[in-house]
Amino acid sequence: MNRDELRSLIDVALEGGLSEADFLRLEAELSVDPAARREYYDRVLLSTLLEAEADAEKSTTPSDGAPIRLSPRMPSRRWRWAFASMTVLCAGLFAVVAWQWWIQPVAETPDLASHTAAAELTRPGISGSEQQSSGYAILSGQVDAVWDEAASVSTGGIVAPGELRLRSGVARFELFSGVTLVVEGDATFSILSPMEVSVVSGKVRARVPEPAQGFRLLTHAGEVVDLGTEFAVNVTANRSEVHVLEGEVEWHPAGLPAQRLKQGQATQMTPEGQAAFDANPQSFVGAGELQRRIMVQQQSRRERWKLSMDELSQDQRLIVQYRLATIDVAKRQLPNLVTRDVDRASEGAVVAAALASNRWGDAASALDFSPAGSRVRLHVPGEYQNLTLIAWVRINSLDRWYNSLFLTDGHEQGEPHWQIMDDGRLFFSVKKRDVWDMSKGEKDKHIFFSPPFWNTSLSGRWLMLATVYDGANRRVTHYLNGEVLSLEAIPDEYLVTAIRIGDASLGNWGLPERDQPRFAIRNLNGCLDEFNLFGAALSADEIRRLYDDGKP
Amino acid sequence: MPNSDEHGLDSDFVAQLTQHQLALQMYVRSLLPGDAGASDVVQQANATIWAKRGEFELGTNFKAWAFSVARFEVLNYRKRQARDARLVFSDELEQIVEAELAGMDLRLQERHDALRACLENLRPQDRMLLLHRYSSGGTLAEFAETVGRSVGGLKVTLHRLRSALLGCVERRLSVEEATS
Repeated sequence: MNRDELRSLIDVALEGGLSEADFLRLEAELSVDPAARREYYDRVLLSTLLEAEADAEKSTTPSDGAPIRLSPRMPSRRWRWAFASMTVLCAGLFAVVAWQWWIQPVAETPDLASHTAAAELTRPGISGSEQQSSGYAILSGQVDAVWDEAASVSTGGIVAPGELRLRSGVARFELFSGVTLVVEGDATFSILSPMEVSVVSGKVRARVPEPAQGFRLLTHAGEVVDLGTEFAVNVTANRSEVHVLEGEVEWHPAGLPAQRLKQGQATQMTPEGQAAFDANPQSFVGAGELQRRIMVQQQSRRERWKLSMDELSQDQRLIVQYRLATIDVAKRQLPNLVTRDVDRASEGAVVAAALASNRWGDAASALDFSPAGSRVRLHVPGEYQNLTLIAWVRINSLDRWYNSLFLTDGHEQGEPHWQIMDDGRLFFSVKKRDVWDMSKGEKDKHIFFSPPFWNTSLSGRWLMLATVYDGANRRVTHYLNGEVLSLEAIPDEYLVTAIRIGDASLGNWGLPERDQPRFAIRNLNGCLDEFNLFGAALSADEIRRLYDDGKP
Repeated sequence: MPNSDEHGLDSDFVAQLTQHQLALQMYVRSLLPGDAGASDVVQQANATIWAKRGEFELGTNFKAWAFSVARFEVLNYRKRQARDARLVFSDELEQIVEAELAGMDLRLQERHDALRACLENLRPQDRMLLLHRYSSGGTLAEFAETVGRSVGGLKVTLHRLRSALLGCVERRLSVEEATS
């Protein structure tokens, strides 16, 4: 008997509802296992204490002042209890998680311990307060989806609380309770909690795993309580349908007695009343069908990306193009896919970095730079007035001061450094001078920072980062996913007209020297699946197009 | 003076009985899981313990003694029920339970305090649901009827709430341990 089963059995026993067979099982378990008895005592004690608390409450609360009256005639009682049950999961998930955080306040500094030798050179990533996010679900997939709130929904992202309008297409949500929703546009709905969803209109199909039983779906015509495992609703202004596709639900039509609907049964509520009919699974997009559509869409996106990359490789402005999918695993080498012959950069030599999946989910088509010492070594000849750097990365966390993207070895006059600060700002600089007079307020370089673009809610998501150094027009632009993050003029005294790269690394910085083996931990804690370097300044439109062609 | 001695003894005795009240309830409940008559048995045990206070030897384990009296009341209760179908743990198991609960430091007061704090952390509706369940006294089916929910759904809900509370209490206690 596993722990959960035992706990359920004990609770049923304490509720007085245990069958003789289960009683014997419980007795056998308690007789042989001290840990099982401990569970039993804990739960008996909890009941005892709760009863004491209930008595205390009763004696201090005037009967008519009780926050919730339980008169069976009260029409809104189901709704009230709906909200009561909605909090169950919050108690179960969030409270518990919160407690865990509370007792392990320093558990969030994972990587540092493993780099003890150099750990003192890095700053522990503990900020003053716990990192937080907001929402109850992630958007786990979408096909041809058109949203009213396009800015606040993206695949893989946490869905902000509030009403959503899906104009057309299909979207799939994974609620933190484990419930999967497939929503077909046109639909208006809100995810109220991990255990409660309200549907104003549209088709919604819900798959409810065992730990989320009791999940509720509210419509204007009534409320569905899932008893496991799959149902769907189709809600319009004056008609609500409930279809039970698998398992069983409890249907609480507004103003009518509750009823159970079993697999294959359906009911509709209209102003004329209620009518039963047969459930029709075909009228709702199922998980399998949606997955197929997502795959088809992804396949076509991948094809489009490949075509776009092939075309790009002909671009004479391109100095480096690494598509990690083309890695030579045996030689640990990345071919440079550019076609021009002049000032061609070298292939990439992979060090330490591990193979990972790329943004299309293809195995061994990206590099994970999180293993200590990871980098791709390359040599870039030539001098450039302008530079464009584009990388597709998936960042786990920014847990070091400097998180490397592309840096030259050392930092000599004319050399660029491209990295991300621990607070989420993109960093780009080209060194102006090797000797400078600090007393005159001189610096060796000007650093072009973007505003912070990253926080942990972006962790694990593929992003396109781009920075354009436009020496001719004297400005530096940072981009995230094709959108401008910041644009800054290059101060005259820091303008560099001959950018040199030479030996450089992707995903790390520099090499330790003889007799000085210590080095700062700056490798990117994340993956990269594409890198493009141009000896020219790409326009905002071009960056935008590259993102559109490359987004998964 | 015998009277003052007796008063002094009595107040000591009351203090002991009060101190072990929760343990006593818990013990009876563990022998009569889910039995609505458990609280009556506790009351009867209290009365008997009080009546037999002269038999208690100062300096011996009060809890063990009170448990043995309570066990006797449990057996009496079962006899009165005269129901063949009553589910009763084996003698061996009941003896283990008695010995363990009598010998264990359950940190009842700390647990009670932690539970109160954890209850505060529940949403008011959850707290009400739980406390209402424990003050209602009836069967789960009756309770489900009162609050207009299905027995199955309620069972799941209550089980989750209890597990969350237990987890919360344990964590509170372990934090106290770690910080004290």
